[in-house]
Amino acid sequence: MSMPETAALVLGAMVAAYILAKILKVSTELSMLAAALVGAAVGGAGFPVRHIVEGAFTYLDICLIFITATLFMNLLKESGGVAFVIRRVLTRFHRRKALLFVMLALLLLIPGALTGAGSVTVLITGSLVATVLGYMNIPRARAAAIIFIIAGLSAAAPPVSLWAMLTAAGVNMPYVGFFLPLLVPCVLLALATIFILSRGAKPADLEAALRELPEAPPKMNWLKVAAPFALFFALILAGRMFPFGFPILGLPLMFAAAAVVTMLLSPVKIPFLDVAGRTVHQLLPLVGTLTCVGILVQIMTLTGARGLIAITVVTLPVTVVILTLFLTLPISEAVLMWGAAPVLGVPLVLLFNTINLNPIVALAGMSVIWPLGDAIPPTAIIGRLTVDTIGMKEPYGKFLKACLVPALLIILAGTLMVFFSKQLAFLTVL
Amino acid sequence: MTRKFVIIVLGAALAVFAGLDFYRSRHLREPVVAGPGVARVKTLGDYFSKVKGTVNDCNVYILEGAQPGGAVLVLGGTHPEEPATRLVSWILAENGILEQGRLFVVCSANRSASTVTRPSGAYPDSFSIPTTWGGQTFRMGDRWSNPLDQWPDPEVYIHYPTGQNLAYMDGRNLNRTWPGRPGGTLTEKTTHAFMELIRTEKIDFVIDLHEAELQYPVISTIVAHPKGQDLAAMASMVLSGEEFKIGVESSPEALRGLSHREIGDHSDAFTLLFEAPEPFLDATRGRTDAKLLLEGKDDFVVRAGKRGLLFETIDKNGWPIDVRVGRHTSTILTVLDLWTLDHPDRGVILKNVPRYAEVIEKGTGAFLKDPASAESKTIHYE
Repeated sequence: MSMPETAALVLGAMVAAYILAKILKVSTELSMLAAALVGAAVGGAGFPVRHIVEGAFTYLDICLIFITATLFMNLLKESGGVAFVIRRVLTRFHRRKALLFVMLALLLLIPGALTGAGSVTVLITGSLVATVLGYMNIPRARAAAIIFIIAGLSAAAPPVSLWAMLTAAGVNMPYVGFFLPLLVPCVLLALATIFILSRGAKPADLEAALRELPEAPPKMNWLKVAAPFALFFALILAGRMFPFGFPILGLPLMFAAAAVVTMLLSPVKIPFLDVAGRTVHQLLPLVGTLTCVGILVQIMTLTGARGLIAITVVTLPVTVVILTLFLTLPISEAVLMWGAAPVLGVPLVLLFNTINLNPIVALAGMSVIWPLGDAIPPTAIIGRLTVDTIGMKEPYGKFLKACLVPALLIILAGTLMVFFSKQLAFLTVL
Repeated sequence: MTRKFVIIVLGAALAVFAGLDFYRSRHLREPVVAGPGVARVKTLGDYFSKVKGTVNDCNVYILEGAQPGGAVLVLGGTHPEEPATRLVSWILAENGILEQGRLFVVCSANRSASTVTRPSGAYPDSFSIPTTWGGQTFRMGDRWSNPLDQWPDPEVYIHYPTGQNLAYMDGRNLNRTWPGRPGGTLTEKTTHAFMELIRTEKIDFVIDLHEAELQYPVISTIVAHPKGQDLAAMASMVLSGEEFKIGVESSPEALRGLSHREIGDHSDAFTLLFEAPEPFLDATRGRTDAKLLLEGKDDFVVRAGKRGLLFETIDKNGWPIDVRVGRHTSTILTVLDLWTLDHPDRGVILKNVPRYAEVIEKGTGAFLKDPASAESKTIHYE
């Protein structure tokens, strides 16, 4: 059997194993693990212990970020800080909708833009913003869609855009010139999203809302809420402003430091071990998915299934490739998460480069589309995180439906950026 | 409870077996039999004390000619996942004899990166080169320093001293951290140590050996700092006329942290960076194993070539390791010849190193020495 035939057989076996596992009501993460193990066996690799464990560590850093950021947010909630902020924001801005929406969009864009992770946006500002939106009569599913879509855009926004960075690194292209090609679409699309999905919003009934909201501890104040955030952003800024004098801490340690400050400033005593245990329990499905995605990618690479997907995509006619980006990018993200950038992004950028498109603008356009895949099963990591974080009880499909209009807008903008990348090359000045 | 116990036991078993495998591959000893041309062996830490005793305190094999002349540094293993680069440095250290000048050879420029493989890359942990005495096994390695030696990564890697933003993991890429920083990360300290070597030993130029995926536009070429442009252009003409096609490119000013840019900008020396084709690195590659690494044959990469997506040709014969090693040895010899012709007082005349045709004819293994039959004092471990 030739190598392409073997790879096709392996890929087919993996898909079949995944579907079978899902039919047997096995969880998504274990279904992916099953697909990986079957793929390895059919591919002649047996039970490759080293590859399984190595693949499992692919997203270790991201898992640590998830855990520490969520712990920080849970501690803040436990201290009464979240209730305090919601009450104050509602009191101050409940009459001026447009201004409030712009502020909320910016609040959602900043954490992800600085960290490159949409999950951080969801965890840090997502639930706060969702509560404010809720009191403006915006249905839960639409509020979740606003947070998810803008969180995705925040992850694609500069200065840190992991898809652009990973792909650029894969083609040995410097991560420069991306600032405006990423910033302009992300900000415009974020504003469009919040205004489109907040249509029909009403100024909140302040008194009713305040009656329903939990009371904040009497000794809670802005300083106590802001201090941990200030420390977090100060640590990030210090790394940027003094890169050669400030130690590299890494995002997990920065979130842990913010968590410690939250504990120290809390006006109420926080049961730390309870909160920590709850946090880990809350994140187990997410961490499990990331671990199994890593294993799956490793086995796909080992057996040639990953190469089969990549070569199939890049050898399609160029027009077809560009016109199907709306499918291939989100789906690859849904299956591989950031792994989509090295698997698919690298050959696509090389393809665009050979046909004289501007690789920076084209990659920026792709980077805007990619995060949409985070709502699509099997992984749906950020989508699931969003609905969990804001406590949406309705079916997941309702959330996906709410995402549709802004998603189409993003797809259109991203695809046009690829098509007209040469004409938009003036954006690459920064 | 029973279910949890079974899961814990399975997890522990996976951890133990995989852990042993990782340990073995990280600590695999790779012998170099220092040839008759090696006058002495130093380590990188001799040039910068903060690297001494670290995982990157690599060996520096110093070959000296009877006649005084110039000095050249050859770096193998900047990216250990490009195995031809390390094999070439092995051949130089084990076979090279210098008539004039000094040649500094490094087999594991980023030794830390040689002790790890890439998560999601599915690399083999090692590969073996067949020899008449049974074969020699090498660590596979990765492009970036081992996270066990340098962790965590910043959110974005900011290059010293220009402040250019680069991908976060490139803080562990030896070819993005030039000219290095004495108080920086392990990788930055390593490049700083090499800069100290270059300054202390009055190196005329550095040869940085690499391999590249065929989808990467900088391939089968010599990338030169402006100070080395003429030498590179001449070498390209000679080699393309006599042995194989090789291009020449100028080091771009906008791309920072690379050896071909920073060494020339921060010292009297300059760098020539050689790129040979390695299909194993292509994103569209099929099955990932040592066979692909060494034979360089891949149907998917061939298909990408037919679609016009590659910057180098490939057919069913692929790009075997002997071809890639031979390209580098011939390019080194040609560059040294041309340099010596132009700078007789600073000449570096290297003998007993096989050229392209000879490596292909006899195989790379023919130029590796058997440590079992060598004097123990000549054996050094990478």
